[in-house]
Amino acid sequence: MSRQQSNRAGRQIRGPQSALTDFLASHNISANQIRLDADARRRAAEEENGASPSDQQQAAEDEVGESSTVTTSVTVTTWTSRREKDQKVIDEIKASKTYQKRKRNADEDDGDDDLLDTLRRERGPLPGQMDNCANCGKRFTVTAYSRNHPDGGLLCGPCGKEMDKDAPPKKKPAKRAAAGPVGRRRQIQSKILDGTFQLGAKSLMTLCIETLAKNIDLAEDLGDLPQQVIDKIARKLSKHRLLNSTTLSLFLQPTTDEVCIYDGAKLSADDYIRIFQTVPGLKKLKARNAIHFKDEVMDFLISRKTELEDLYLHGSNLIDEEKWLEFLGKKGKSLQSLRVYWTDKHFGDSALEALPSSCPSLARLKACHNQKITGEGIKHLAQLKHLKHLSIDLRNHVHSDVYVNVLSSIGQNLETFSITREINLDNTVLDAIHNHCRSLQKLRITDSEVMTDEDFARLFTNWENKCLQFVDLQKCRQVDSANPRQNPDNIGLCDKGFKALMAHSGRKIEHLNVHGCRHISAKAFEVVFPADGKKVYPELKKLEISFCEEVTDFIVGSIFKCCPNIHELNVFGCMNVKSVRVPKGKILVGVPNALGMVIEGIDDIEE
Amino acid sequence: MHATNGNGGASKYITLVSKDGFEFVVLREASLCSDYIRGMLRNNMTEARTGRCELQDINGVILEKVVEYFHYWYKFKDREDVPDMEIPVENCLELVVAADYLGMDSKPH
Repeated sequence: MSRQQSNRAGRQIRGPQSALTDFLASHNISANQIRLDADARRRAAEEENGASPSDQQQAAEDEVGESSTVTTSVTVTTWTSRREKDQKVIDEIKASKTYQKRKRNADEDDGDDDLLDTLRRERGPLPGQMDNCANCGKRFTVTAYSRNHPDGGLLCGPCGKEMDKDAPPKKKPAKRAAAGPVGRRRQIQSKILDGTFQLGAKSLMTLCIETLAKNIDLAEDLGDLPQQVIDKIARKLSKHRLLNSTTLSLFLQPTTDEVCIYDGAKLSADDYIRIFQTVPGLKKLKARNAIHFKDEVMDFLISRKTELEDLYLHGSNLIDEEKWLEFLGKKGKSLQSLRVYWTDKHFGDSALEALPSSCPSLARLKACHNQKITGEGIKHLAQLKHLKHLSIDLRNHVHSDVYVNVLSSIGQNLETFSITREINLDNTVLDAIHNHCRSLQKLRITDSEVMTDEDFARLFTNWENKCLQFVDLQKCRQVDSANPRQNPDNIGLCDKGFKALMAHSGRKIEHLNVHGCRHISAKAFEVVFPADGKKVYPELKKLEISFCEEVTDFIVGSIFKCCPNIHELNVFGCMNVKSVRVPKGKILVGVPNALGMVIEGIDDIEE
Repeated sequence: MHATNGNGGASKYITLVSKDGFEFVVLREASLCSDYIRGMLRNNMTEARTGRCELQDINGVILEKVVEYFHYWYKFKDREDVPDMEIPVENCLELVVAADYLGMDSKPH
């Protein structure tokens, strides 16, 4: 009774109600009201009939509790008149237009029968009451967290936990960072920076490989794909960190002679041993992040007949110095290319010392980010008569004289000469290059704070070497905080050197990097890239002039005119580049404003 | 759909025939994204005259997907924001082989 009164007393705060309850309430029909009326009538009928199914009803009523859903305790009895009345009410409601309209918009899609069922159905025991477990039959207290048994009924605590453990935990699908308009624009900008941006659709190959990478666990065998395609798949998998023991098997075919692992972080030592086991004819091995390529793997390799010609190891810090020497001694005969990256401690002077004797046919040597090699080791390189490609990036200082020595001995045949981050490398090295190198194609000297413009000019003037294809002279500039703007001694690559460089190699140069050479003046740029397009650099594909302060919009425009096949131009830090129209198909990276690269309209630049 | 129009000039459409005899009519321009087909359609080649290319190494199902790609590529040529085409997982390995055979490499023109 008090409930009735409180109903009439005004609005109470109620929790969410079903749509049906809402409709009934809007027609002034309250479920509780119906129930109480029914009770009253039943009691009246009881007194008339005597025997009655009232016990049933009593039990049912007890179970209802305070729930405000429409599950009343109207059990299925033979009160036909009651039923008819209900049915009439329901029909009335359904006929009403408002209900029809709301039903169309509402989430629930109860059918006719559902309505009746919902009104009449007994919900199971409510929280707080006792029930038998559907699984083990034990008696337990129903809580809000009791799990449902698949066949109906509720489970007790332990049985519920069991079922949860068996069922896989629900994983929320990860929100893709690249979804939505902001994400898409970010992706486009990121692609521009990577240099992989292109207008139009992705190639069919790319789409297929992406699908393959996403579903790699379904793949059992890659079949007879050409090496290039397999390489692309390997790269894609490594990018998504999907390369592990199982997926590695896809790339280990007994007939192949080349295995490239772009990310070996998830591979164990056994996996590396497996490579040598399954691919007996292996000639070229490239392993990046090869952390577990340990002594035992090296031992296994030494014991096999595998004649490696090309070894590229990145991050293999667990190989001992003695092991390196043993490997070079026993397997060095066939080795033509050795590239060791980020192997800080154990690949040192002793290994370099052993090279001339153990690897006589070595043509390519690269030691990158290495802490142990010093000038002592480098000087032995002068004896590698067949060396064609030399690339050094050390953390120790090596005096320029060592390099001069090496160059005077093997400079004649060198095709690649790359010294990175050697601050004190001086003019003598440039002179040595000028005097001895005749077949150079790729030259890289970075971060030199001592070399002067005059000597760069001297290098490129009347040099008997043919045109260089790849030149990287980034950060050869003056570093002097006392003289931030002036460069009285013309340290680093400046006007004269730049002009001489382009005059010498402009015909064939494909890749030029003068990042940070900030003393190259606008005048020099205008001479090298004249606005009328008189000078043409047909092969130049990638040009990086970042942080050359004097570059302007006009110069960038002239560059596009003079370099018809240029693909990517990098102007980070060139603050005077404000609004340049980029011809279609080219990429301009690093425009210092929020708009970024603006591609020309349909037409290309007109003369 | 005729392979050649009345004047005998190059028609707008060409026919690609798969290994198992399925024929697909494709816009000539759309098929130019494949180096292989472009080569076949050069002047003086038989295929250029008849407008009919026989691809003996590709079966019908895969060729259908390739033709779908041709039209997708043509439609989105030179657009910036391009939605990816769906590739069914069961065919993607064979599709990779077909793509490699037809020379549909990473830098379509």
